[in-house]
Formats: sequence, structure tokens, C-alpha cells
Amino acid sequence: MYAKRSTLTPTLIAIVGFLTVCPVAMLVIGSFSTNLGTLGGFTLEKYIQAYSDPELLDIIVNTLIFVVGSSFLATALALFLSYLNNRTDIPFKFMFRVISIIPMMIPHILFSVSWVLLLNPSNGIINLFLRQVLGMEGALNVYSLHGMILVEALLDLPIAYLIIAPAMASFDVALEESSRVCGGSSLRTLFRITLPVLRPAIMAAFILALVRSLASFAVPSVIGMPGRIYVLSTHIYRAVSTGFSADYGKAAALGMIVLASSITLIYLYRFMTREGEKYVTISSRGYRPTVIRLKGARYPLFAVVGLLSFILIVLPVLVLFYTSMVPYSMVPSAKAFSMMSWRHWIAVINDPISLLSLKNSVLLGVGGATLGIFLSIFVAYVIVKVRTKASGLLESLSFLSFSFPGIVIGVGFMWFFVQTPLYATIWALLIGYIATYLPYGVRPLASAFVQVHSHLEESSLVCGASRVQTMRRIVIPLLVPGIVSGWILMATMFVRELTLSVVLSRPGTEVLAVQILRFSEDGLWGRLSALGIIMIFISTGLVVLASWVGAIFKPIQEE
Amino acid sequence: MKKFVPFLLIMALSTTAWAGNPVAEEAKAEGKASFYANITAIEPIVEAFGEDTGVKGEYTRISTSKFLATVLTEFQAGKLMADVLQAPLPVMELLKEKGVLAPYRPAEADKYPEWASKDGVIQQFGIEYVGLIYNTELVKPEDAPKRYQDLADPKWKDRIVMANPASHATTISWLVGLKENVFESEAEWMDFVKGLAANRPMFVKSFGPTPAPIESGEKAIGISMPKYIITKAPAPLDWARLEQPLMGTPRGIAIAANAKHPNAAKLFMDYFLSQKSMNLLASKVGEYVLYPGVFPPIDGMDKAKVIPIRELSDEELAKWGAEFKRIFEMS
Amino acid sequence: MEIQIENLCKRYTSGGNTINALDEVNLTIPANQIFTLLGPSGCGKTTLLRCIVGLESPDSGEIRIGGETVWSGKDNIYVPPEKRGLGMVFQSYAIWPHMTVFENVAYPLQTRKTDRNVIREKVAKTLAFVQLEGFEDRPATKLSGGQQQRVALARALVAEPKVILFDEPLSNLDAKLREETRKDLRVFLTELGITAVYVTHDRIEALALSDSIAIMDKGRIIEKGTPKDIYFRSEHHFVADFIGRTNLIDAVVTAQEPSATIVDCALGSLRCAPLPRTNPGDKVVLSLRPEFLRFSDSDKDGPTNRISGRIDSLVFIGEALEGEVLVNDTSLFVKVPPDSELKEGDPISITVSPANCLLLTK
Repeated sequence: MYAKRSTLTPTLIAIVGFLTVCPVAMLVIGSFSTNLGTLGGFTLEKYIQAYSDPELLDIIVNTLIFVVGSSFLATALALFLSYLNNRTDIPFKFMFRVISIIPMMIPHILFSVSWVLLLNPSNGIINLFLRQVLGMEGALNVYSLHGMILVEALLDLPIAYLIIAPAMASFDVALEESSRVCGGSSLRTLFRITLPVLRPAIMAAFILALVRSLASFAVPSVIGMPGRIYVLSTHIYRAVSTGFSADYGKAAALGMIVLASSITLIYLYRFMTREGEKYVTISSRGYRPTVIRLKGARYPLFAVVGLLSFILIVLPVLVLFYTSMVPYSMVPSAKAFSMMSWRHWIAVINDPISLLSLKNSVLLGVGGATLGIFLSIFVAYVIVKVRTKASGLLESLSFLSFSFPGIVIGVGFMWFFVQTPLYATIWALLIGYIATYLPYGVRPLASAFVQVHSHLEESSLVCGASRVQTMRRIVIPLLVPGIVSGWILMATMFVRELTLSVVLSRPGTEVLAVQILRFSEDGLWGRLSALGIIMIFISTGLVVLASWVGAIFKPIQEE
Repeated sequence: MKKFVPFLLIMALSTTAWAGNPVAEEAKAEGKASFYANITAIEPIVEAFGEDTGVKGEYTRISTSKFLATVLTEFQAGKLMADVLQAPLPVMELLKEKGVLAPYRPAEADKYPEWASKDGVIQQFGIEYVGLIYNTELVKPEDAPKRYQDLADPKWKDRIVMANPASHATTISWLVGLKENVFESEAEWMDFVKGLAANRPMFVKSFGPTPAPIESGEKAIGISMPKYIITKAPAPLDWARLEQPLMGTPRGIAIAANAKHPNAAKLFMDYFLSQKSMNLLASKVGEYVLYPGVFPPIDGMDKAKVIPIRELSDEELAKWGAEFKRIFEMS
Repeated sequence: MEIQIENLCKRYTSGGNTINALDEVNLTIPANQIFTLLGPSGCGKTTLLRCIVGLESPDSGEIRIGGETVWSGKDNIYVPPEKRGLGMVFQSYAIWPHMTVFENVAYPLQTRKTDRNVIREKVAKTLAFVQLEGFEDRPATKLSGGQQQRVALARALVAEPKVILFDEPLSNLDAKLREETRKDLRVFLTELGITAVYVTHDRIEALALSDSIAIMDKGRIIEKGTPKDIYFRSEHHFVADFIGRTNLIDAVVTAQEPSATIVDCALGSLRCAPLPRTNPGDKVVLSLRPEFLRFSDSDKDGPTNRISGRIDSLVFIGEALEGEVLVNDTSLFVKVPPDSELKEGDPISITVSPANCLLLTK
């Protein structure tokens, strides 16, 4: 009948392992091979070359600052926003959902470029404003580590938010109230009670952001490179781009350090949250978190959120829209506005490849996210509730291809798929997406599972329900917020996925991001922006769909 | 508008009879030709090929940095899907070495310069020419550089954009090409490189992102490609008319050794090298092509001297990349 | 410490309706007593407790604890909960899951910047008091419900607050444990001699535990008194019904005597405990608690308040037989000793002492 606990874990390990180990194994082989392709004579030369580089130390230091800084900022912002949204009477709460989702739909490269247009020291719009309107000296320079951290943090904010918000929503407020009554000030309560209790979600968000920013390429290349600030991903890019016979084996050798750090982080995370039961926050009794009255702080805080959403959503989307209307990159001026037209939009709509890529991306977004979530439910269940050595292995496996730098893992998948009949089909993209972005589904679901007390499951088991029924009747309804979060993360990711697609897509399997990359390589920013906005609309549609379906299945009404 | 008239004429005349010859008939039976290329925006040629020959052209764009990895991976797995391949000459040479390419010399090759088809396998048809592109709203034509050396003038400090000379292969080759083809002495060249470095140019990852900062006025001038003057019109871009020649990496094309559609491959290569295609390439994309008498519609380009640069081996590229990195970081 | 509450009001709006959670509440909670706020859910008792502790703010009125104003609408005073120096036990215990038992209990002392050694000493003492010695290093989540409840109590007591508040602390325990804990709690609190404000909807808990009880309904305090006052001498229909099972029968006053009020009702004419300020002809309600109905087959109880009827139904529930007696078509709820020989259909004669015939104003 159904795979029992004893066979569930090995089955999942086999599936997830097959998905993630194969490409990584190909990369490992490639990194030890004399050949440029896959198999060849054994050599350590690539490792020696990669790690004897005297620059590497500086790069690692930069990478650390960049990765930790942006993840910290992203997590802190996510905490701040989800606290305000779930726990206070801040007005216009719907904005939070929007803030948390929209940046995920904007291709990272476009988001980074918008920030260059806003903040470059020569004629960035914000800098022009500061200089000409406010008469300030000097300029804010986006081409700096600070700039990179800021932009990357904004890009990783949605992931962090979607992981922290559900935990915040189910937080038992009495824990805070009792601290207040015990004499703890609001600040002490925050640091001694609220944050520690939310630690699993915070750590999950932080670690996911760390892993993501380690592999990030858009910000380091668009913002870091002009500032001559190199991090590991751009260092790897340099390794493959200098010279015409790009050696991905060497890139893979360099990528191993990233992989090793990511796996260490995941183990660290497991170690820190090993007493899962500590953090049970949903008990079976219904309760409603009380709303904190912000009173006088209500509108000032809302202004902060408003500013954030302006920066996160309005500004980049405006810049995108503006770019899609002007004939070439220009600073806003009377002339620019007089030259606006729909020409880039018309060009995109008449381009058959753009239309095909739209269709493929929607298909991959919906199909991939659905399949991905289905797999994630089982994986998260084993990771959180079974908690054996094998489930630890499963968790690490689920992170494996995710934690490799994007430009390298794509090649790993190519090396792998070319050995199979899936090569150059849309299935290769589908499988590659799910394998690489599995943590997007597993993480939110794992946080959700952590909060489902085992008593709830056990009581259902006692009532005679089989394990499948337990999942379906008792656990899944409680997981709906996690499922919706995960589905949204996956679907929007798949719609804008670039790193794998660029290597795996072939005529007939073009996808949106690849088409966008083509436009960007040709410097056709106008068409790129037009297609980017279309992409945002599609993702918005998917998010609305997911939230709507989620609302139908949700047993307990929130808010 | 006037300068386009001759092109239109030529295009009208050049619609040679593609049907009728035996290769074309076989090709039709094969149905399609798959084309892997790093060159951008050649959809018009692929489309015209389909219309004129009845064989479907399928264009897969692969960027230079992934070209070799992709093709070799497919080739070694026996799954190379390309019938025709196009890439920078150094990449083509490597592919030839690995046995990926098959010899084929189309009739059209005779019209090209002799040096462009020396081995009967790779046909060179264009040059990925590099020039100094400036923003006409920020720089008057008379202030634009007249010689490469002018770019080292401190007046350009913080006003230059270029692809990263530590990693961008074409830019590295171009800088080395200046030494070998343009400058009188190595010392003079080194002064230029150091002067350029002292102007603290902004680095981007490749040529693709170079025009945007020039268009928007973030930077005034860049080491970029003149073809953007065409593709980015009406952006305020122009190229600096230098006394010295423009240089670039040659672009090569060849058919695959185990092409699934061998006749379609030949037909495509024939078509690609025809005057009609080269006209499209020059007029639509602004490419510099080697077909005699065909020039991109960029003012003055027909009089410019454009020369191919020597292929650098990967060892040389890595060595010079490191050297440039050192020089540019010192400033 | 005495708690004084004056004219406290709090309104909620929910779904367009305005709900008066607290409606002009005036209350003095005497010092060093166990004071219970009793009422059905939604009566405002928890809101009142949360206002006292400072977790919620009323709309208007004033709260003073030990003479110090902690909240005042007109003077715009709000002392936050952490400055009120109270102790509280929450319904869900709110044991911090990321801390050990020791850390949980030590927290209130740490917030008061107590010396480390003093903390250790006081925590040990308090844990001993709640019979949790040796549990210091146990993770808080590895405790049973009863143990968690005692950790919560220890945490509320450890800083020796002058007032301790309880929000339905026993509702999560099973019936047997609830009874035991209730008894223990009464002992603890009496021993400590501090003011305790206890919120519950369980009348038995309230009666067993409290020195005084205030009954709330719809945001108002309806009646206040000792458990016995409330039980025997409540003045309100609602209170009599809420505090224990009783038979409520409409009656009309027929005569006022110095020692009794005579009424006429469906059971006949009865002598009742005197209800002052009523005149013949007034409509009242008669409350007859089943435990005061005596079954007698002889005439030795005399003719006063004798009611004759027939047993309509009888159910064995272990500690008693519960059933209904039909008297002139009016059904009376009765309790019979479990070993009684009575059975359904038997005629029966009931007497009730006038002191136990409670008249309530309508």
C-alpha cells in the first residue's frame, strides 16, 4: 500500500539523491579530470591552481562580508516586517504580502540594473536628486560592498519573509506577555523571548539567505565588478571566462569551497535546532494572537514600511517600466519623456521566441512547483519528524545542488543530462529546477512541520487513521500556509530561473529568463524590461492563484 | 536614408535561385538545419533562409564562455545537435582540434579575402570589431580621441567604461593586439595601458553591458563595439574615427563533422556566406563582415581599416589577464 | 495589596458590532485574599484581569494597586506591565520553550537585577515550595502539564509580588489533577498571604478556592461576596443559576412576615427566606437547590413547605441518583442518595426548610 516510515526515508534519499547527486558528481569528476568535458585522466592540477591563488584570501574575506551582511540585513528586515504584519495594528496589511512577493518576480539582473540607474555615483537618479535638489556634496556609491549588501539583502528578503512570517503568525503571544509581567521590558522580551523562540525560523531564513547569496551572481557581476569587488561567484566566473576554452572543471574545483561551506551551515543549523520539540508553537487549542496597538508609532512605522515598499517594488518596477518605454538607456528628462513609445513592447509581443518562452515558463512554473511541493512535503516530513541520521543525510542532499554556484551547477546538469534521453527536452529543465530549488519547497514546509506538535499526529493515529490519512486529514491542513509559501517561492523562481536554463534550454525549450539574458547580452534593455514586466504579471497571477487555492483549503481563518 | 538604397538594390538582385541544385533538394528532405552561434540577433538571416530555401533554420544562441563546454559535452556524448557552428576563431580552432568540425568550402568562399579561409574547414566571415564609442551629448566629435593614446589623457578620468581586462578574453586579446599591430614600441604601449588604468575605467563583465552606461551618460566613452550604434539607435552614440586601424577577433563558421542534416548544413553555410546574408548582418546588426563591398551603415565605416587580431592561446590570455589585473589594480 | 477599580470601560469593535467588554466596572479587591472573577466566557473577566496586569488598556476609568495609580484615563497614566511588579499564571502557562526550568523561574529575578547567588537561592526555595526540587536543569518542554503549571506558578511567585493573577490556570489539566492542584493552590496562597486574583468559568473551582467571588456577565460585575454568600444568598436570577444547579420557579409574593416571605407558585404556597423590599403581589423567582430538597415519608418534618409529587425519571451517576419529580406539571430537579430504593413512578413527598427557599428579584 503506502510506503511506511521504514521505507519512506530510503525512497526519498534515492529520489532526492538521484536528482542532486548526479550533477554534483559529474562536477566532482570534472574537477579531477584532465579533460575539459567530463571523463579524462586524473589530475589534482585544477585544485592546486584554484586554491594556490594568492588572491583567494581577499576574495573569501569579501565574500564573507557580503554574504553575512546581506543575509543579516535580509533576515532582520523580514523579522521587522513580519512582526509588524502579524502582531501589530499597522494599517494596509495587504502591502506586506505584496512587498514580500514582488521582488521575487523581478529577475535579479534587472533589479540590480535598476539600482545602478538609481545609485551610480555619476548620474544615479537618487544621487542627482541629492546633489541638485538637496545640494549635498559627494555621492552614494552603489558600486561598493555596502551597495552589494543592500541590493542582495533586498533580493533575499522575500525568501526570509516567507519563512519567518508563518512562524510569527503562529507565535503564542502569552510567551511575550508573561515576560512583560515578569518584569521584562519590551526590548528584553524581544531579545530573551521572542527571538529565541522564533530561532528555528530565523535560522532557516538566515541560512537560506546565506546559501543563496553565496551562489548569487547578478549582484556581484552588475554591482561588484564595476566596483572591482570580487566575491567567490565572480571569481569563478573569471576562471571560466578568461580564455575561450572555459574550464568548468576548475570552476567546479573552486565551487567545492562554496559547497563545503553550505553543507557545514546546514549541519550547524540542524545542530542548533536539534531539539525540535522545544519550538512547538501551535497547540491544538485555537487562540488568537493579540494585536499590539502601535498608537502614535502606527503611522511613522507605516511610513518606514511604505518607504521600504517604495524601494523594493515601486522604484524597480517604475525603472523597468520607464526603461521599457524610452528608446535607449537615458536619465529621466523632458527629452526622455518626449521620446517614449511602445516600440519595445510591440517588438516583444511580435517575437515568436518570446511568446514560446512565455508559454514554457508558465508551464514549468506551475508544473514544476506542483511536483516540487509534492516531493517537498515528504522530504520536510522526514527531516523534521523522523530525525534520524538518514534524515540528516536527506536534508543535506536537498541542499546539494542548491548550494553550488549557479553557473557551475548548470554545467553539472548538462554533463548529466547529456547521458540521458532527457537532454534538450523540457523535462530536463523541469527536473533540474526541482532538484536545484528543492530547499525553496522544503524550508517553509519544514518550519511548518516543526510547529505541528506530534500529539496532533499521534491523536489521529490513535483514532485509527493510517499514516497517509494522518498526513491528509490532520497535518496537511495545518501545513497549508507552508505549502502556499513554498509553492509561491518555487513557481516564481522557476518563472525567472536563469542559471540552469541558460545551459539547458535549446530551440523549442526557450524560457523567459534566457530570452531576457539574450536581450541583456545584446544590450536591448528596453525589450528586456518589457519582457520583465510581462514576467512580473505572470508571477503575480501565479501568486494570486496560489493564495486563492490556499485560502480554500485553510481550516482556520487567519486575521 | 540614402545610403540604404544601394543595399536594398543589392538585396533585391541577390535573391539567387536557391532551389534547383541537388544539395538544396537533399536539404529540403532533411527538413532543417540546426545552427549554434555566439553571434547575436541573426534571426533575420535564419528567417530568410527558411523563406528562400524551404529548409527550417534553428538558431541556438550560446555565449562564448559556454560555447566550448556545451559543444564538447554534446559531442563527447554523441549528441551534438548542431549542423553548423559559428564562434570566435579561437573557439573554432579548438573545436577543429577535437574533431568536431568537417571540411567544407562553399563556392561563396572565393569572394572572401584569401586569409579568411585558409584550412578549408573554418570560414572566417566577419570581425568582432572593437572601437571607442562615445556619447555625442557629452563629447563633441572634435574632442573624441584621434588615436588610441588619447584615451590615456587624464581628461577621461572616471569617464570610461570597458569590459574587465583581467577576465574578458576579447578585451585581453584586443589590448595585446594593440601592442602587436598598432603601437610602435612595447614601452609606448605600456605607457598607454598604464595611462588607461590611471583613468580608472569602470569594469563590466563583457561587451554586452558596455553601451548602457554610455547611452545614459553615466560614462562618456567606452571600449565597446561600433555595432551598437546600429542596434541601439537612436541612442546618442558615435565612434571615434581613429588614425589607427580598428581591430577585432575574427568570427568563423563551419559545419559539424557528424551533422544530422549534412546537406542542410552545407546549404545553410552557403546561404550564410552569401551577399544577401552578409548584407543583413551588416545592416541589421551592424556587424563588420568580410564580404567585399558590404559595410555596416555606420557613417565612415566603409573607409575604416579593420584588421583581425592574432589568436591568443588560453595560457597567454591567462598570463595577460593577470598582468592587466595587476596594472589596473595598482591605479 | 488592595486593588481598586473605578468606572472601568472597554469596548471592542468586531465585525461592525461594538461589544462592551467592560461596562462601568467598579470593584475593590481586598488585600491578601483569594479573589475570583467568575463568569461565562465572554463576560469580560479575562479583559479585566489583563487590564489589571497591564496587558490591555481600558478606554476610561482608573486602576489603583496598593494605592498607586497604574492606569488612569483622565490623568493619562499608564504603567507598563513590567513596572507593576505583579505575578501572573497564564492559561497556557506560557512556559518559555527555549529555557530550562531554572531559567524560566529565574527570569523575573534577572529582570530585577538580582544578585546571582540570591537568584539561585530564591529559585531553589520557590521550586521546593511548588514541589519541583531537582527539576532545575530539565528543559521546560520536557515536563507534564501539571509540572508546567507549577513552573508557571513558581515563576509568578519567585519575585515575591504583592499581587498574583491567574488566568484560568487549571483549565488545561485533567479532572483529577485539577482537583488536587486546586487544593494545593489554596494551601500555597493562604500560606503566602498575598492578594490573588483568579479568573475562571468553573464555579466549583471558584467556590473551593476563593475568599471572595465576583460574578461577571456582559462586562458588568453582578454580584460580589464570599462563596457561601454567593451560593446561599445571591440576589440575582443569573447568579443563582450560574453558581450551581437549581430549580427556578416563578412565584408571586402573597405576604411579608418578619421572619419569612410567603409566596405562591406552581408548587403551592411556600414559606421562604425573607426578601425585603417586596410587597404582596410582586413577581419574584424562587430558587430551590436540589441538595436542600428532603425526601420524607413520615410527617415528622411537619406540614411546612411540604410538596407532593411523583418521580418522573431517575438516573444513577455514581455519587447520587439524579432525576426529576413532577409536581402539578412542574418538573423539579432532585438528587437522591445513591443507595435509595426509590424508582420511577413512585409517589414522593418533599420538604424544604424555609431558610433554603431563596427568593430572587426578577
